[in-house]
Amino acid sequence: MGCDYCEIAKGKISSEVVYEDDRCIAVVADMAFTPGQVRLFPKEHHTIMEMMPEALADHLFRIANKLSVALFESLGAQGTNIIIQNGTAAGQSIPHFCIDIVPREERDQLDFQWTPKQLLEEEMDTAYLSLKEEGEQLILGKEKKEEIVLKDKKTEMVVEKEDGDNYLLKQLRRVP
Amino acid sequence: MQQMSAEERKALEEKLKNMSPEELKEFQKQQCIFCQIIAGKVPSKKVYEDDQCLAVMDINPAAPGHLLLMPKEHYAIMPQIPDEVIGHLFAVTKHLSQSMLRKLRVEGTSVFVANGMAAGQRSQHFMVHIIPRKEEDGLLDVPEHLVELGLRESLAVKIENRMNQLMGIKKIRQKTLAEEKETEKKAERQAAEKGKPGVVQEVQAEPKQKDKQEEQAEEGTGAEKEEVSAPQKEKALARGTEKQKRNGTAEEPEEETEEPEEAQQRQTEESKDKPDKEEDDEKDKEDEEKGGPGVSLDDIADLFK
Repeated sequence: MGCDYCEIAKGKISSEVVYEDDRCIAVVADMAFTPGQVRLFPKEHHTIMEMMPEALADHLFRIANKLSVALFESLGAQGTNIIIQNGTAAGQSIPHFCIDIVPREERDQLDFQWTPKQLLEEEMDTAYLSLKEEGEQLILGKEKKEEIVLKDKKTEMVVEKEDGDNYLLKQLRRVP
Repeated sequence: MQQMSAEERKALEEKLKNMSPEELKEFQKQQCIFCQIIAGKVPSKKVYEDDQCLAVMDINPAAPGHLLLMPKEHYAIMPQIPDEVIGHLFAVTKHLSQSMLRKLRVEGTSVFVANGMAAGQRSQHFMVHIIPRKEEDGLLDVPEHLVELGLRESLAVKIENRMNQLMGIKKIRQKTLAEEKETEKKAERQAAEKGKPGVVQEVQAEPKQKDKQEEQAEEGTGAEKEEVSAPQKEKALARGTEKQKRNGTAEEPEEETEEPEEAQQRQTEESKDKPDKEEDDEKDKEDEEKGGPGVSLDDIADLFK
């Protein structure tokens, strides 16, 4: 594959690991916005966030939060930024999804702020409407998932019943 | 924030001092524009809503389609938020980012969180920015610098120690408590056995004790190899002293002379292996005693009041 982060996760490239579990690993970044920036990434290879399973995203951000607390307390940071760059257009340089946790101080003179864009109403509305549509589908998608789960339960029940029948049948056969 | 005269500010500060935590929370909610959006008192363009969070269009967008995702409960910064809510928020973030890629025909997305004013947080309500990105849009364009290896290593030690404390402290304690109880029980049994007269019992007790000490020695070295955090090392050292105490009570003079030597050897080995680490640990311990160099989370949260 030739992915540096996969190599780090496997331990083939040495790096300053600050946290590791079975699903993810966090290292001190060599190229960083500020010294002490921690880069957290999953051990499994995913190029962008959208490709990750939901459970993994959930887990990663819990760890990111803990790392953020660790930066506050160990480095005396006055703030932290959590930044995800998804896609090369967003400045992603390595094809392995990662979360950057950046310790910040008042005097570091970094400026992540954007100048608010004056957008045309139409532009805003088209973006809003298309996203809203997706958002509504998102809710529907969840319900669909739940339905599937229910179906699974039903099928399990059916299987159990069948087992029960078989058991009874066996018993019946045994009786004579 | 609104501009206030000095008198108004004083009055407000006194009012805040006299409030109970519940009242304070309620007051924060009233002051927070995003809590009002969540309550539906201020109109907004909602994109996604469930029982825990709400996503709306940013009124000062960095790009068309810029979304703000926030928890419905009022939290100032991320560390205050319970794990389940964090997990849920970012699972939703993932889906919203996905729908941006699908619907807005953008080439990427940026997820941006600012914790604390130093990090550029402007609102007093925690939120996740999800920004659709296009090539050369000039957003979040901050140069990166190389961090020297030596600095990286020293930072890594500090962060890892704290992270271990944050993540593993319960596990470590449970383990060591259980171990301590076990060793205590064994010690009691030994004491009881030794209390009884009879040569045979004493002979039997001897090898048992030796086995145990070997076990403990193994545990000790194992813990050192794992580059454990400060509390674990303290425990390891404490175990060493326990051992010495027990040897003091033991009747055989041979063991008395052997054991402390072993312990000393191990300690010297340890100090040879990682002198820097130990110093850092000691510094950390000192810092903890003083209350730490780090700004407490409450202090950061207080900045928003």
